[in-house]
Amino acid sequence: MFATELDYRMSVCQIHLCSLLIKEHFGDIVEKVCTHLIQNGAKPLRVAAQETGLKIDQVRKALCVLVQHNIASFGLHKRGFVEYAASVEQVLLLVRYPRYIYCAKTLYGDAGELIVEEILQHGQMRMSTVVGRVTQRLSEGGQSVTNDHVKGKMEDLINTHFLQRVPAPPPDNNKAAFPELTISERDLYRVPASIEVTRGESDTSKRKRSTEDSDPQSSSKRLKIDSEEHAADEGILWHLNFDRFHKYLLDHEIVQAVSRRIDWNAAEVVRTMLRISELSKGLEDKTSHPISLNDTMRNLPKENNMKFGVVEQYFKLLSDDQTSIVTKVGETGGGSYTLDFQNACKALVVSTIESVVQERFGSKSFRIFKTLLLKKYLEQKQVEEFALIPAKEAKELLYKMFSEHFVTMQEIPRTPDHAPSRTFFLFTVDVSQVSRMLLERCYKSLANVISRRAFETKENKRLIEKSQRVEAIAASLQSHGADQSQTAEVEDMITPLEKNQLEKYRSKMSKLEQSELQVDSTIFTLGNFLRLESDS
Amino acid sequence: MAADNIVIKQEVTDAMNLEERILEMCKEETKGVADVYIKQQLPHIDAQQRVKAINRLLSLGKIDLVKQGSELLYRLKDPSSISKVKGVDNQERLVYQIIEEAGNKGIWIRDIRLRSNLLLTQLNKILKTLESRNLIKAVKSVGASKRKVYMLFNLEPDRSVTGGAWYSDQDFESEFVEVLNQQCYKFLQQKADLAADSKLDPILRRNQSYGSSEDVWKFIRELGISKVELAVEDIETILNTLIYDGKVEMTVSLRAGSTSSGTPGQVKLYRAIRPLTEPAGIMRVPCGVCPVFNQCYDGGTISPSTCIYMKEWMDY
Repeated sequence: MFATELDYRMSVCQIHLCSLLIKEHFGDIVEKVCTHLIQNGAKPLRVAAQETGLKIDQVRKALCVLVQHNIASFGLHKRGFVEYAASVEQVLLLVRYPRYIYCAKTLYGDAGELIVEEILQHGQMRMSTVVGRVTQRLSEGGQSVTNDHVKGKMEDLINTHFLQRVPAPPPDNNKAAFPELTISERDLYRVPASIEVTRGESDTSKRKRSTEDSDPQSSSKRLKIDSEEHAADEGILWHLNFDRFHKYLLDHEIVQAVSRRIDWNAAEVVRTMLRISELSKGLEDKTSHPISLNDTMRNLPKENNMKFGVVEQYFKLLSDDQTSIVTKVGETGGGSYTLDFQNACKALVVSTIESVVQERFGSKSFRIFKTLLLKKYLEQKQVEEFALIPAKEAKELLYKMFSEHFVTMQEIPRTPDHAPSRTFFLFTVDVSQVSRMLLERCYKSLANVISRRAFETKENKRLIEKSQRVEAIAASLQSHGADQSQTAEVEDMITPLEKNQLEKYRSKMSKLEQSELQVDSTIFTLGNFLRLESDS
Repeated sequence: MAADNIVIKQEVTDAMNLEERILEMCKEETKGVADVYIKQQLPHIDAQQRVKAINRLLSLGKIDLVKQGSELLYRLKDPSSISKVKGVDNQERLVYQIIEEAGNKGIWIRDIRLRSNLLLTQLNKILKTLESRNLIKAVKSVGASKRKVYMLFNLEPDRSVTGGAWYSDQDFESEFVEVLNQQCYKFLQQKADLAADSKLDPILRRNQSYGSSEDVWKFIRELGISKVELAVEDIETILNTLIYDGKVEMTVSLRAGSTSSGTPGQVKLYRAIRPLTEPAGIMRVPCGVCPVFNQCYDGGTISPSTCIYMKEWMDY
C-alpha cells in the first residue's frame, strides 16, 4: 500500500504542479524533499538527505510535515530499512481544500467550517484541541457557542464519515524498526465516549481520563505532542476522510445535472436516493444498492410534499432519460431503482468535454464532434453529410480537432500494403483518451495560474510589504488609544496611486484563485470518470 | 427557333393528346397546316397550350416550320429524310435509349460508351447533336463536381445528383441550413418552455415538450422561409443536426401517428434539452482556449508569467 505503486499515472505536468503546490503551502525545503520523493520514488531518510543536499535534520522535519498532512507515507523496505514515499494524488488535493471547507460550511454551518479548516491546517488533530480552538475562534467572532455545540458538530462530521481516525501505532512495539500504523474498521468512525474538552490549547487544568479509552493507547508512543499536555483523548487523532468529501461533491454534481436535465423535483428525488445510499457505497462502487420507491417516498424532505403518483412519474422520467443515471432493476417495493455512478460520471465527463470543444473550436466543430460521438466511426464524407457542413469547411474543422487530439483516426486498409488510396480512414472520438488529455491540460493550466500568481506577488512585493507594515502600525496605534488623526496620518503613507495598484493586485489575485478552483472542478470530474473506468 | 423558350414540365396526358392531334393534322395535310387551321380544329384549346404543344413538337423534331408566302405553316418532318442526311440515326437512337433507361439519376459518359460500344469521339458528337436538339441535357453531379451525367431533357434530376434541397448549382447553401436549424430549434424550444410553464404531471409535461418531425415540418412550411419545397425527410436531416448540436434529443414513439400519413406506429419525436453541465471550469482560464498552450513553459518565450492573454484577462 505504498504511494508510489499507486501513482503510476504521474506525468511531468503533475509533478510540476505538485512542486508548485507544496512550495506554496509548506515552503522551499519541504518542496525540495517532496519533489525528490515524487520523482525518484521511495527513499530512506539518509539517502534523501544526501541526494537533495539538505541537512538530515531539515529532511526529517520536512518529512514530518508531509507525514502529518498525509502526503508522505513510510514503509519497510524488504532489506529492513525504513523508506519514505510521497503521494502525488494527495498533494493535488491541496487545491481542493477550499471546497472541502465550503462543503462543511453548507452542511454543518460555521462550526463545521472552522472544524474542517483547523484540521486541514494541521493535517491531523485531537478532538479536544479542535473543539477548543473552534470554540475560541467562534467566540472571538462574536458568536456565543459552547464546547458541547462544537463537539456535537464534530461528532456529526465523524458519524457521517467526513472525519475519520488516524491509524495509530500499536501500544507496544517501541522495539520495532518503525511503528506499524493500524486501526480497526470498528474504531474508524467511533467517537470515544466522554471526552472532556479543554478550552484553548494551553489550558490543561481540566483533565479527566476517559473511562472508555483507558486502554493502553493513551500511554502509547506519542507522535508530535507536547509532553506537557495530557488531554483525555491523547493519541486519538482525526483527519479528513477525503473520499467521503469526494463522494459528496460527486453527488452534488449528479444532482445538479439532473436538475438541469429534468427539474428540481427530479433532482430532489435523486438527492434522496443518494442520501439513502450515502454510507453504504464506496467511491469505487459503480452502482448503488437497489432503492425502492417506497423508501424514497418515506425519506423525501418534509417540506417537499410530492404525491406518491408524482414521485412515481419522476422515477419513470429518470429511468427513461438518455443519460441513464437511474435504472430500474425490479418491481419490489413499488419499483426499485439503482443509481449508476459510472453512467453518471460518463455523462458528466462527456458534457464537460463537449463544452470544451464548443468553447475552443466553435459550434460547427462541436457539431462534428458530437456527430462522431453519436455515430462512433465515420469517414470524412459521412461527417459532412450528417453534420450538413460544406465539405471544405468540415475538412478543415475536423483536421483541426484531429491535430489537437480531440478526434482520433482508425485506418482500415483494403489491401495488405496499406496504400492510402485503398484505405478507409475512419474518424472517431475516444472519450477516455480525450479525458486523459484534458486532465493533463488541466494540470498544466493550474500550474500556469499558480505560477502567474506567484509572479504577480513577486512584482508587487514591495507594495504588499509596505501596506502590511502600515496596517500593522495603524492597528498598534489604535490599540494604544491614539486618536483618529494619527491613524489617518499613518494610513496616508500609501499614496492613491499605490492604493489603486494594490486594489488591482487584489482583484487579480481573487480572479486567479477563483479560476484555480474552477480548473480543479474540471479535474475532479475527469478524475472520477477515469478512476471508475480504470477499475472496469 | 421557338424551341429556345420551351418550358419543361411533366407531361400531362392532355398535352400528349394535343400533340398527337396536331401530328395527325399535319399528316393529313402534307403541304402543311396553318396556325389558324389548328385553332379552328381545336376550338376548346387555348392559345397557350397550343403554343406549348407546337413548340414541343418542333423541339422534338417531329414537325417543321415552313414559310409559304406571308403565311407560316407546320409540316410533318420526314423521319427517314433526316436519318439519311445525318446518317447516324441508329447510333443516335441507341444512345438516346441508353440515356432514357438511366432515368432521372442520369448516366455518366463512360458508362454510355461501355454500353453502346461507340468510340469516344463519335459518342461526343452524338451527344452534342442530341443536346443541341434539346433531347437530352447534361447535369453536373454534386458528388463529383467534374462528372457530368446525361439524362432526358424533360426530366427533373434526382436528389442524389443535385444534392437535395441544400444545394443550388452544386453549391451548398450553408446559410439556408443555418436558418432552418435555428428556426427548428426555436420551435422546439418554445414548445418546451410552454410545457415547463404548464401545471401538469411531470410525464405529461415531458410529452408536451415533444414535437414530431411533421409538426416541425408544418411550422417551417407555414413560416415560408424556404423557396423550395421541403420534404419531411429534409426537416429530419435538419433536426438531426440539432441533435449533433446537443440542443435536441430524439425518441421514437410507438403510438399511432398523429397524422394519417407516414408509417403507422412510428413517430420520431424531438425535444429541446439543455446541456448537462455548466461550461467546464478549465474554459474560464485563458489556458483553456490558448492557441500556443503546448509551447508554454516557465522561463520560455511563451511563459505563464509573461502571458499576454492572462494579462488581458485579469485586467478585464
